[in-house]
Amino acid sequence: MKDFVFNSIGQSLQRNEDERLITGKGRFTDDFSLPEQTWAWMVRSTHPHAWIKSIDTSAAMQMPGVLAVFTGKDCLNDQLNPIEHNPVPSTQYDVKLRGPNDSDIFLGYHHLLPFDKVRHVGQALAMVVARTRNEAFSAAQMVIVQYEELPTVMNSELAIKSDAPIVWDELPSNVLVDATFGDIQATEKAFEAAEHIVCFKSHVSRVTGVTMEPRACLGHYDPKTDRYTLFAGSGGAVRQKSELAKVLGVEADRLRVISHDVGGNFGTRNRAYVEFGLVLWASKKLGFPVKHRADRTESFLSDYQGRDLVTEVQLALNAKGKFLALKVDNLSNVGYCCVSLSPLSKGSGLVTGSYDIATATLRSRAVFTNTMATQAYRSSGRPEVTFAIERVIDRAARVLGIDRLELRRLNLVQTHQMPYTNAIGSSYDSGEYEENMNRILELSDWSNLDQRRQEAHARGKLLGAGFANYVESSIGSPKERAEIIVHPTQIEVIIGTQPAGQGHETSFAQVAADLLGVEFNRVFITLGDTDIVTAGGGTHSGRSLRHASAVIALAVEDLRALGVRHAAHFFNCKPEDVLYENGHFKSISSVNSVSWFDLSIQLANGEGPQSSLKELRVLRDNEMHTPVYPNGACVCEIEIDPETGGVDIKRYSAVDDVGRCINPLIVHGQTHGGIAQGVGQALWEECYLDQTSGQPIACSLMDYGMPRFDNLPSFKTEIVEVLSPTNPFGIKAGGEGGTTPALAVVMSAVEDALWPVCGPVDFDLPATPQKIWNALQRGKAH
Amino acid sequence: MYPTKYHKANSLQEAFELYKSSQDASFLSGGHTLLPVMKQGLAAPSDLIDLSFIDELRGIEVTPQTVVISSMTRHMEVASNNDVIRAVPCLAALAGSIGDRQVRFKGTIGGSLANNDPAADYTAGFLGLGGHVETNLRSIAAEEFFVSMFQTALKPGEIIKRVHLSIPKSAGYAKFRAAAARYSMVGVFVARTELGTRVAVTGAGQSGVYREKSLEAALNQNFDATSLEGIQISSQDLIEDMHASSLYRANLIKVLAKHAVLNMGGIVNLK
Amino acid sequence: MTSISLNVNGKSHDLEIEDNTLLVTALREHLGLTGTHVGCDTSQCGCCVVRLNGESVKSCTTLAIQANGGKVLTVEGLSVNGELHPLQKAFKDNHALQCGFCTPGMLMSALDLIESHEQVLTPEVVRHQMEGNLCRCTGYHNIVKAIVQASKDMKSSSLS
Repeated sequence: MKDFVFNSIGQSLQRNEDERLITGKGRFTDDFSLPEQTWAWMVRSTHPHAWIKSIDTSAAMQMPGVLAVFTGKDCLNDQLNPIEHNPVPSTQYDVKLRGPNDSDIFLGYHHLLPFDKVRHVGQALAMVVARTRNEAFSAAQMVIVQYEELPTVMNSELAIKSDAPIVWDELPSNVLVDATFGDIQATEKAFEAAEHIVCFKSHVSRVTGVTMEPRACLGHYDPKTDRYTLFAGSGGAVRQKSELAKVLGVEADRLRVISHDVGGNFGTRNRAYVEFGLVLWASKKLGFPVKHRADRTESFLSDYQGRDLVTEVQLALNAKGKFLALKVDNLSNVGYCCVSLSPLSKGSGLVTGSYDIATATLRSRAVFTNTMATQAYRSSGRPEVTFAIERVIDRAARVLGIDRLELRRLNLVQTHQMPYTNAIGSSYDSGEYEENMNRILELSDWSNLDQRRQEAHARGKLLGAGFANYVESSIGSPKERAEIIVHPTQIEVIIGTQPAGQGHETSFAQVAADLLGVEFNRVFITLGDTDIVTAGGGTHSGRSLRHASAVIALAVEDLRALGVRHAAHFFNCKPEDVLYENGHFKSISSVNSVSWFDLSIQLANGEGPQSSLKELRVLRDNEMHTPVYPNGACVCEIEIDPETGGVDIKRYSAVDDVGRCINPLIVHGQTHGGIAQGVGQALWEECYLDQTSGQPIACSLMDYGMPRFDNLPSFKTEIVEVLSPTNPFGIKAGGEGGTTPALAVVMSAVEDALWPVCGPVDFDLPATPQKIWNALQRGKAH
Repeated sequence: MYPTKYHKANSLQEAFELYKSSQDASFLSGGHTLLPVMKQGLAAPSDLIDLSFIDELRGIEVTPQTVVISSMTRHMEVASNNDVIRAVPCLAALAGSIGDRQVRFKGTIGGSLANNDPAADYTAGFLGLGGHVETNLRSIAAEEFFVSMFQTALKPGEIIKRVHLSIPKSAGYAKFRAAAARYSMVGVFVARTELGTRVAVTGAGQSGVYREKSLEAALNQNFDATSLEGIQISSQDLIEDMHASSLYRANLIKVLAKHAVLNMGGIVNLK
Repeated sequence: MTSISLNVNGKSHDLEIEDNTLLVTALREHLGLTGTHVGCDTSQCGCCVVRLNGESVKSCTTLAIQANGGKVLTVEGLSVNGELHPLQKAFKDNHALQCGFCTPGMLMSALDLIESHEQVLTPEVVRHQMEGNLCRCTGYHNIVKAIVQASKDMKSSSLS
């Protein structure tokens, strides 16, 4: 960051995106329509596991407006391929998961429509296409499916048993991943010598993204160009283009994917949906564009879901409370087919959390069940493992009679130990964990807790304060591409990330503007159309700003070199005699300087150099594998009404080390939203399944509780900037730190409130009033 | 949504005629129960007869003994009506607590009572205060109106014209809302009347809204929160679902009754 | 098919719709006003809120035919002559939107809330009265700030 000035970077600039979004000019997928477009409606399985004996489409075909009804057999006949999700994270530093006995991982097959069996309630097994959406809906109700029911298994702990119903016949069991990491011998030794062993087990619940924009897609085939176009919100248009092209069996350049405005992602949109392939295929078969928009119920049933991890952790300590070793067993429920193993993998690398633990072993398993597929969801895997380590530490503090903050301080990774390699092999790049703790205790007014506790007690309420440290990892797809084009009055940066509210059009422009030495409002960012964006890693895992800034910085270097040659032509001097400073070029012998825009105008006027330098335009690829480790601490203060078990969140404070912060306004917003999603899972959200029938019950907002205006407090959030040595700007990531400790901190608060009456909390997330009240009754009975 | 035919009724008579001449009609008032159900394909009336434009079905009148609310009067109108606020402040507050702001601009008392959702607020208010429903055919007392969950004594085609609610000596309402649906997981309406205390419970009973006799007896003895302490509410006929057990609901009934008694004249919305 | 007329953002339109066409569908698909959004199917999310005949309603739970002859204001009608409405400006100033999908409904709900209260709104009132609008991105923190600010701006400008 040698020779340019930070004018935009670090400023809380208002967003470029906002103008269109606040005036109703956003471009979400369903906002696009094509002439003569038709509508699809999916017929979905009502059984969790069954043979498809027959699908009778005759009545449906008679309904008004119907053009076709497609089934899995039709997909087979047209040789459509299943979607290849590449679920095993492939970056250098992701933890290497393997199948049982070090085998390759069997993933199941994600066909667009199944031809043999259905494997979860809500699985699409036929598609009706009609002139209007209502007509497609009416006809879909007339499709008659005959099922032959099969035994089912929904719960992961039941699915690993040897007598469990098998989801995929290709496997002898439902276990697709079974890998052990760490030093088994050393860990066993440490456990044998330990004074105390404290255990904690929990089933971290299954939740779903509930993006406010339900998923939608519009597919169009143009016979004149033999090309397909797909409008669909995604987490990366480039990835979905290559995956869907393979499904259709065409070259990738035959398909254009357009993701403009995306109404929330959080992980749910990181993988392609079957409807995307189906509408493309159907549009060619029928000769009309085909559109699909999911209902909210459909989204609840068939959006990729999140979490669902059974975690069992044992912590070995000496008499003074030093953490000696850790044993962890994580069991991930991937659902009916494997779409992503990122949660299990990312979590695996962080099981020791923010603490210096000399040795650890971890067994990571993944299992198939008759449920919807799960994949990455806000901070993929990290809230789960943070929950496990922070909760076992809370328990250890009680067992040993040591203050829970002191116990943490005693064992924190110290600043001087950075970069720190944990017992699983993850190398934390930078961070000042004890500083975070000190800061959060001030921010949350921890020292006056007892006073507030007594005051709440006088009002008949149980006050509880939760504390959690966290460290999380941001790795993500290693490759990114940037193109920079200098137009006469604006500089365009084309990049392959895919925001869904994170403000890339603003923060990337801030970075580019400072790198280029121009005003912030002279830069605009182009995203999301694969005819323009030719490569890119998409957005997930907090990767975007780090990768984008790095590749943009490299592209700017290339552009400067190009600019120097253009300027040499302008000044009629040798390139070596051109000086560049802060967006302006001059020759050593001249007084005047020219800007990027002057050079571009010169080009536009046909006065450019005669050589192959036709445009002021560069394209640059970059690859970065080194992860970064955002970190922080948070405190949550609640009051429980013992009469109802109701929870009122009084305060929520967070300190987050995001590395260099490009736009504080945006980062605080990310923290707020991340907190809300974590608190939501801790208190209200659950993809509730009836265990006997396999039926999902929470299929609408009537049954799936959400964070709302009136059940969340305002937050106190603070940004810390410990620059990361791993990338030119020192950026870590700011998108997921709000969620990572939230599950732990809320449950920690609940337990703190209930402990005098009930002792340890004996229920899993979400901490509903019903569960809290039950616990209080049990506690009072003893 | 399946196809349907919409009719705007200009009078009660027209509404009734339209109903009789339709294959399978539903009356439309606020639409915030019927339209979502139609959108999900769970209801498919051949005809929709919109009652909300009928003038004689709008309006609020307060006499010395009763609050008379015409059936198409919206929750927002009841909540902000000064006469209702003066006569039965708890009733106005109850109307102001239903759903969310947009629901209150559309939802009507007639629609709410006719639907008899087991977790509705108005049903508890009506059964708690006592009174009668005046339809286009007859009058039905509050005690006879509610039959079972989603079922009332209304005959097919019978339209509620006005709801007559008896003005009590005092009344209070306390509710605890379910996290997702925001309906009352349990709501308890307590009214002190000339003929004794009435305690109406919504959200809990398997047959919908009902009067909890044990609490009425205790409060008739001594109208005080302390007299509720020893009462055991049976969970036997209470709803058990993914959101709350019958035991928990039984607990809530007592807790909410206590809060209502301690806050007569208003509404308590427990968090 | 039935003919209806709607005045939307000051302009009159004649439409041919099915009786079961929702008002939000008429706005989005017949009139091309895609600013109003559909976010759920149980009338709980508020993404579809518009102003109909002066009242704040969920356009996904209103049939277009019920609005026949009525006046509709959508998010597209908030700014006048290219000038942002104080609410829109407050949302931008306070980073009260991220993905923007819930934003039109938020703005329309907030507009009704501010205009129906004589006093400047407090955060408590905002949090209580906006419960019919869901947001998944912002955690509501900045939206509350924006609405409180807008209510101050709108009250002070109406006084001057």
